[in-house]
Amino acid sequence: MNKLLTLIPLLLLAGAALPAAPRFVELPGDSPLITFRVVFLRGAASDPADKPGLARLTASLLSDGGSKSMTHNQIVDRFFPMAVHVSSQVDKEMTTFTAVTHIDNLNEFYSIFRAMLLEPGWRADDLKRLRDQQINFLRVSLRGNNDEELGKEVLYQAIYQGHPYGWQNAGAVSGIKRITRDDLRSFYRANYTQSNLIFGIGGGYSPEFLARVKKDFASLPEGERVAVKRPAPHKIKGIRVRMVEKNTRSVAYSIGFPISVTRADPDYIPLRVAQSYFGQHRSSIGRLYQRMREKRGLNYGDYAYIEYFPRGMFQSQPDPNLARPQQIFQMWIRPVPPPVAHFTLRLAMFELNKLIDDGLSDRDFENARGYLSKYVNLLTQTKNAELGYAIDSLYYGIPNYNTYLKTGLAKLTRDDVNRAIKKHLRATDLWIAVIAKNCEQLKSSFLAGEPSPMKYNSPKPEEITTEDKIVESWKIPFQADAVEIIPVEKVFE
Amino acid sequence: MALMFRIFVPLLLCGALALGASPPRKAFPWDYQMDDFPNGLRLITVPTDFPNVVALQIVVSTGSRNEVEPGKSGFAHFFEHMMFRGTKRFPPEAYDQVIKEMGAARNAYTTDDRTVFYTTFSKEDIGRIIELEADRFQNLDYGEAAFKTEALAVLGEYNKNSQSPTQKLYEVLRDKAFDKHTYKHTTMGFLDDIKEMPHQYEYSRKFFSRWYRPEYTTIIVAGDVEPARVKALVKKYWSGWQHGSYKADIPAEPPQKEPRTAHIDWRSPTLPWIAIAYKGAAYSDTKKDQVTLDITSFLGFDSSSDLYKKLVIDEQKVDILYAYNPDRVDPQLFTVMARVKKQEDVPYVRDQVLAKLKEFRDKPVDPKRLEAVKKHLRYSFALALDNSEAIAATLAPYVALRRTPETINKVYALYDEVTPEDVQRIAAKYFQKDARTIVTLTGGESK
Repeated sequence: MNKLLTLIPLLLLAGAALPAAPRFVELPGDSPLITFRVVFLRGAASDPADKPGLARLTASLLSDGGSKSMTHNQIVDRFFPMAVHVSSQVDKEMTTFTAVTHIDNLNEFYSIFRAMLLEPGWRADDLKRLRDQQINFLRVSLRGNNDEELGKEVLYQAIYQGHPYGWQNAGAVSGIKRITRDDLRSFYRANYTQSNLIFGIGGGYSPEFLARVKKDFASLPEGERVAVKRPAPHKIKGIRVRMVEKNTRSVAYSIGFPISVTRADPDYIPLRVAQSYFGQHRSSIGRLYQRMREKRGLNYGDYAYIEYFPRGMFQSQPDPNLARPQQIFQMWIRPVPPPVAHFTLRLAMFELNKLIDDGLSDRDFENARGYLSKYVNLLTQTKNAELGYAIDSLYYGIPNYNTYLKTGLAKLTRDDVNRAIKKHLRATDLWIAVIAKNCEQLKSSFLAGEPSPMKYNSPKPEEITTEDKIVESWKIPFQADAVEIIPVEKVFE
Repeated sequence: MALMFRIFVPLLLCGALALGASPPRKAFPWDYQMDDFPNGLRLITVPTDFPNVVALQIVVSTGSRNEVEPGKSGFAHFFEHMMFRGTKRFPPEAYDQVIKEMGAARNAYTTDDRTVFYTTFSKEDIGRIIELEADRFQNLDYGEAAFKTEALAVLGEYNKNSQSPTQKLYEVLRDKAFDKHTYKHTTMGFLDDIKEMPHQYEYSRKFFSRWYRPEYTTIIVAGDVEPARVKALVKKYWSGWQHGSYKADIPAEPPQKEPRTAHIDWRSPTLPWIAIAYKGAAYSDTKKDQVTLDITSFLGFDSSSDLYKKLVIDEQKVDILYAYNPDRVDPQLFTVMARVKKQEDVPYVRDQVLAKLKEFRDKPVDPKRLEAVKKHLRYSFALALDNSEAIAATLAPYVALRRTPETINKVYALYDEVTPEDVQRIAAKYFQKDARTIVTLTGGESK
């Protein structure tokens, strides 16, 4: 491993002066389970403007299509007895292929895996099937069946409109329909290069096996290590709302704005502590969860984020290799019944204001810091996760993530956290994404700003009823021309 | 930068899995210690050699199957929520405080036959966690106000689940297919019952007293632990828990006498779904029915199956196809699910699935294909056991059914014994028209 490279964040690399050899992240050991995590440093942000979805479809053709010498069905037949499959993930800056095989089957598996990544088949029937699958993911799985994930993606699209991050990672239906096999081939040729490759491997493989892998992947075009420079997202003025009209039982919210902080930033650890205190993912320890769900029973949970975390309703920990040079701060308010929708939004904004004004108390700080210092151990329980985090650390130019976080936390003070909150977070100049039925009615309620008093099915402590009096009239400065309503059928088209 | 990482050797895993060129004969390869306490509580400790982390899963053999009274569907799941509402000694805030100090991840889930509470944490905290869990299982204490508030969170969970057409499909399918057995309702429960939950405080106390008892509970501890120490801790904190006396009288499902159908008009655009279900078999590690149905689900409908290749890959009329055959205490449904790209193809897809099931009845399967399925099952099980949490989580459903990891070895040995004739015999027994329920769902866009 080239030590020089480990010290320079890949997201800042200037390129020309550095060698373009592929990088390998190796976790050898004696485990009979061999894990592959193969990352190319290109993703949806490299999609052509008229063909959003190309990076996603290219990766699908590799992981779920045939190779030059084998059809998809032939690959499935060979993989099935070994119980292996290759999966792919596409984010803005990274495309990741993962697979785990038992060492008994390593050679047989690898010979096929190698061909899938290095000699794709680009068959027309694979393209037709995977194109349909991608369109159905956007139209049915995301738009039709998952209001929460839809809300999050609508928020990202609103924040990043006109920016290379402006599309969902799977693109848009009209773009996907335009993609040809030539587009796939040329995207592959341009982006699946040695310069862009980080190859992660873990388990009880032999040095000879690794040498073979290195030789094989040296057949990729060298490419150029070009700096990734992304423009800043546009400035947001005031409170902006994008409402998606949909026939649904409840109202889902996502609230957010861009932040400049990534893992490479000195303020990452302070903000990570603030986020854990405010809204640790799927945990009852976060402030939002406690105030909104536990005390008031408004919904199933409420959380906050400083990094992209898709599929959060299905998993308790984030997937690695979603690294980006820019992130957003986000609040995820799970669906609430329409009669309490306005109150819920007010409470969320009230809590955000409170976080910024008051920061963390000494106790809150010590709790969140202590929690994260240990919780970080749980993020890398598998070789697959360990490889993923190591690759992300290479991208950001930081040490091993566990060490980085623990060392940083040990030195951290409450003032560092509260200063970072004031510097990076805000309760204005942000987007609110709403998925709801009768958006016009909700919009009128927002704009009228009348009190939205809460009624509960049980007595509440005075602390809550007193706070509710403030929250029910909490002013969110909506402006009529900054609240837009779009029919769900238009999203991702 | 530490990219050449510390190497650790999972000795037990290597010993069992790395030998030979075929998957291990003993499916659950880890050594474990099993301890029974006088009050009926059982402890299973699996030292794993994955360093630092410990996974604790407490399995209560109670689920929506135990909801025998009318109007009480969804209660096992609701009660899972209530278990996080604290005790006198550790009210929710104090409980959360301990979790914060330990950096633990914890949650719970409920299904037909079990409720599982799981916590994953650093090894030095084992004593505190076992004490904390013992406290809530024995001394749970919540007021009516907290109860009513939590009922709203459950409704919130229903609301977020309600966006998925497959949730609705399963709800209708079970309601249609079962007449008497409690598998008639899903674990979430009927919406009317969920709305009624806030008024069921008294019943909730009764539910706790019936089912949260040591004889229904097994503690699994997997990870970087000493079994003797874990045993001593469980003895110290859990021995005072009293054995109960309640026994469930779960109504038996009478044989279905005619094919049934139902249709759902989904409120918004979605692709059509079809579910074709048959009354299936109960879990067993001695009788071949359920393992054979399991194998049949792969033979017929896995992505390597002929029908999948035909409908999904070649004809491209279907984009999702699978069979679902869960391991349950009592016979559940063997269900084939297909998402169809065009509504006009739904009858064709239905007929293709029915023809495939008929084929299983009419002729024995290819022995080579059967061997491939058995190999797949062995390897996929081995590949899943790659960390302590996964090991504990894999054990939990089996422990809910038989209270011992040994059932895994027995059931995998049984898979190995399944012959092409068994597949034919079991298909003939279960895939009968009169035991069938078909539910279709269509959305706006495809109409």
